[in-house]
Amino acid sequence: MTEPARLREISDDEFTAAYGSDRFTSAVILNRLRYAVEHMSTGFMREAFSPIIRDWYDFACTISGPPERGYPMAVVSNSLVVFLGTLGDAVRNAVEEFGPENLSPGDVLICNDPYRGGTHVNDVCFIRPVFAGGKIVSFVNMRAHQLDMGGTVPGGFSATKSNVYENGLVIPPVLLWSRDQPVRSTFSLIFDNTRWGGMLLPDFKSIHQQLKLGEQLVLENIERYGLDAYLGTLTYACDTSAERMRDAIALVPDGDYTGSALIDADGLDDTVDYTVRVTLRKRGQHIEVDLSGTSPQARTCINCGVLDAKTAVGVALTMLLDPEVPFTSGTWRTIDLATPPGTLVSSLPPDGGIMMFWEASGAVVSAIFDALNPVLGEKGVAGDYGSTNTHNASGVTAGGTPWTSATQCGGEHGPWGATKEGDGDSYTVLFFLNNLDPATETIEHDAPLVMLRKEHAIDTGGAGEFRGGAANLKDTLWLSAASHYLSPFRTKVPSGVGANGGKAGPNGAMWFFPPREDARELLGTSAEVYAGSIPVAGVLDPDSKAPDPEGVYHYFASRPVWRTEPGTVLRCLTNGGGGWGDPLARDPERVLADVRNAYVSVEGAARDYGVVVIGDPHHDPEGLRIDEQATAELRARR
Amino acid sequence: MNKIQQNPVLERIPVDGPCPRCGAEELRRYPVVSEGGWFQVVKCQSCLYSVEREPWSRLGPIQLLSDSL
Repeated sequence: MTEPARLREISDDEFTAAYGSDRFTSAVILNRLRYAVEHMSTGFMREAFSPIIRDWYDFACTISGPPERGYPMAVVSNSLVVFLGTLGDAVRNAVEEFGPENLSPGDVLICNDPYRGGTHVNDVCFIRPVFAGGKIVSFVNMRAHQLDMGGTVPGGFSATKSNVYENGLVIPPVLLWSRDQPVRSTFSLIFDNTRWGGMLLPDFKSIHQQLKLGEQLVLENIERYGLDAYLGTLTYACDTSAERMRDAIALVPDGDYTGSALIDADGLDDTVDYTVRVTLRKRGQHIEVDLSGTSPQARTCINCGVLDAKTAVGVALTMLLDPEVPFTSGTWRTIDLATPPGTLVSSLPPDGGIMMFWEASGAVVSAIFDALNPVLGEKGVAGDYGSTNTHNASGVTAGGTPWTSATQCGGEHGPWGATKEGDGDSYTVLFFLNNLDPATETIEHDAPLVMLRKEHAIDTGGAGEFRGGAANLKDTLWLSAASHYLSPFRTKVPSGVGANGGKAGPNGAMWFFPPREDARELLGTSAEVYAGSIPVAGVLDPDSKAPDPEGVYHYFASRPVWRTEPGTVLRCLTNGGGGWGDPLARDPERVLADVRNAYVSVEGAARDYGVVVIGDPHHDPEGLRIDEQATAELRARR
Repeated sequence: MNKIQQNPVLERIPVDGPCPRCGAEELRRYPVVSEGGWFQVVKCQSCLYSVEREPWSRLGPIQLLSDSL
């Protein structure tokens, strides 16, 4: 097995022979194609009606090459990574099944089957062939989350659905537009089986226009630089990813490394938890990732498909080994995923339903971090908050208007772990999602609620030379009766594991607080406030109901639907991010700044970092100072 | 209904012969997913060299009834 020539070392003539143009032209074309997918994205976001598109950026765009080159996914937008990772396979699988010979200019092929293309049924792939000289030379693609795709739960976000039939409408590869004319039967299939079709329709029309824009921009490049240069650039883009990933893998010592990650329960009952187990075998520039030993597929729809597991492998290795590797098909060239069928992360239809797919594939990321962090030392990356703790609610206003709140009021956003570069961010999304945070004003406009808190929780970042990001604490007051679906999956053991000697972040939980007479007062944040709550999820003290790692697990689907009265408050506390490095090596000035900014309490500074801070952070923050001598003595005793 | 296994393990079928790269008698045949989709490979379990690497079923272990039309 000979290794390919290094891109920097081949001659200009060799480059042109391999890629159909000189290096400079390939770089220009590649940047123009990246502009194309970002232009498509911007246009869609500007026009979208659906909140999950408009506010969450729950879509992605890619450009793939033609069938005879294996559909290489060469260009991706700066957006939702789980979509990007599966789109290469989704395009190839959908087009191969439909038959590339059956496609015409102006067609838009769609497919939403998780087993054919990854993710879940709400995510519809829109694929447009680009023709030049009478043949397909490329595909421009979008995947976009549709607010509803039928099934037993409005919006779909629930762990309680048992199989693909309850899950929602499955669309095989079919045309939505044929030669730029809408295929009415396909539109009717969707509208007759989904809720809120009126919101889907304008978004479909916008997607059609963005795909036409993408096609136009691709054709402009072909016209200006020639087809050989265009197709060569797609190959060059993937070869670049492959080479960088090969180099990154080569830096890991040869060996077999094992790791695992735990998911609390599925939506049936709390008698079964689920473990993702991974063995990475690394030899030279190759890694084989074996998921044998992972729990069987879940009884309800918390599974993911194998393409999502593949995405997770690519994301984890990119983040750990070289975050600069461009995310293309080539990322996986020297990576093999070997998995038995029928596991939590390689589920099979019809019983292995797939909805909360990112939770399962996120556990694959965690397991790979668990396996490689001990090997990587300083290059290790601490864990994030682990679960989006997704919340969906729906109801009817007093005036009779139906409303829904989707993925806005749970613990969807939270912290990352720390790295050798610095502290973990405190309010983002899971490592491999890369979404936006909906604006509070929009959330309150769309549903009868008031968002009372959305803040960093003190003493929740894992301690370390660099601190983990702080957990997010969110309180939402529901003004009308509501039906809630809650899906926190990682509360039993810390997801925000430490790296390079850093400490784990604590775990979060969810509670409902019944309507109160003093509703005008904010709920407190001290431990005693939880005694009056109805716990939904988390490991909690049996008496105080406050988080306690030695406490009792509360099962999120003990009520498949949580129905609440007007005036109820939902509190969601995410897990904290993990710390990196020895906490006693943290610069005391950084600890002082953390106390000043309420990331760390005075007590936490002494307990976790051995730093003695004097003063009152609430009433005299500028007067805070470090007791140098007491700090030195305290650290010396550790 | 699918038969639910306990902690499934990928079946790796032994293949006779030494690895042409490292000489280890540890060749196994099994499916993998990588760039380009599913492949049936014969790989050395010692050095990960792929002796054979052939494209496999488009959806791996999942067979569509419509493929039989």
